[in-house]
Amino acid sequence: MNTGHDPKLMALFEEAEAEFDDAAFAEDIMRVIDGQRRRTILMWSTAMLAAIACLALVASPVVTALSMATELLPASLVSIESDWLQKLLAPINSIAAALALSILAIRKFIRWIFN
Amino acid sequence: MRYSKDLLAKSPESVLVGLSRTGNSSAFAELVTRRQTWIRNLMRRCCGDSTLADDLSQQVFMQAWRSIRQLHDNERFAPWLKRLAINMWLQHKRRNDPLRAADEHTDTSTSHKDQTSVGMDLDRALATLADEARLCVVLSYHERMTHAEIESLTGLPLGTIKSHIRRGTKKLQEALSAYAETAEEMQ
Repeated sequence: MNTGHDPKLMALFEEAEAEFDDAAFAEDIMRVIDGQRRRTILMWSTAMLAAIACLALVASPVVTALSMATELLPASLVSIESDWLQKLLAPINSIAAALALSILAIRKFIRWIFN
Repeated sequence: MRYSKDLLAKSPESVLVGLSRTGNSSAFAELVTRRQTWIRNLMRRCCGDSTLADDLSQQVFMQAWRSIRQLHDNERFAPWLKRLAINMWLQHKRRNDPLRAADEHTDTSTSHKDQTSVGMDLDRALATLADEARLCVVLSYHERMTHAEIESLTGLPLGTIKSHIRRGTKKLQEALSAYAETAEEMQ
């Protein structure tokens, strides 16, 4: 509960209330909001277009690199004449396996140095 | 979806809030029209400068538009808007250095457009109070908030709020004694 409220002051506060029924204030706010909304849409559209343009530019080299990688990575490091043995050892006898082992070794080496 | 102005004017506030949350700007424009008098008067009592009050009120409504999706209960729009308004005023006070604030106070006498004489005198009397005290008095008398509500809104200690209101009331009574005498004579 509030105490010590002066009723005369309360009445003065009520009397001091001005009535604002002008539409201009609301219109101004809506104009600013619409402007901001348009700017946001424009900004996103520009960003999307730039992203699409970038994708179009790098799409061809990226596809080429990926196809080269898919061809190169499963290639055997050591040629084995027996077909079934080559398939069995494929997970360790390939460029991909060598790369994975190299990355693990480098990681372990870095940790050994910094710890 | 577009709704006619008449339909929006007849709609309850909670419906307008719900529509605004879906991005309907016409519904929000109706909310602004309905609530502008309240917020502009509140800001005028807080800062005593009608131009600054209208600028801050505009920022309050723009902030409301940006964050209306965060309002989970459509029925609580008014208290939520009041909180935004008070926070806007507190942020404005924090941003401004004392010298600029002093300038604002000296400007009050010249920047009262479309104000009643009672409003001008009241704002002049309120301008003599410190910012914190002024805010407490305005929230107590203008918004008829309880001490506990003021505490939760402003984060000020309850004892400080009580003493601000007590001292502020006394100062206002002294500054506006002419009005009290006139009221007594009228009776």
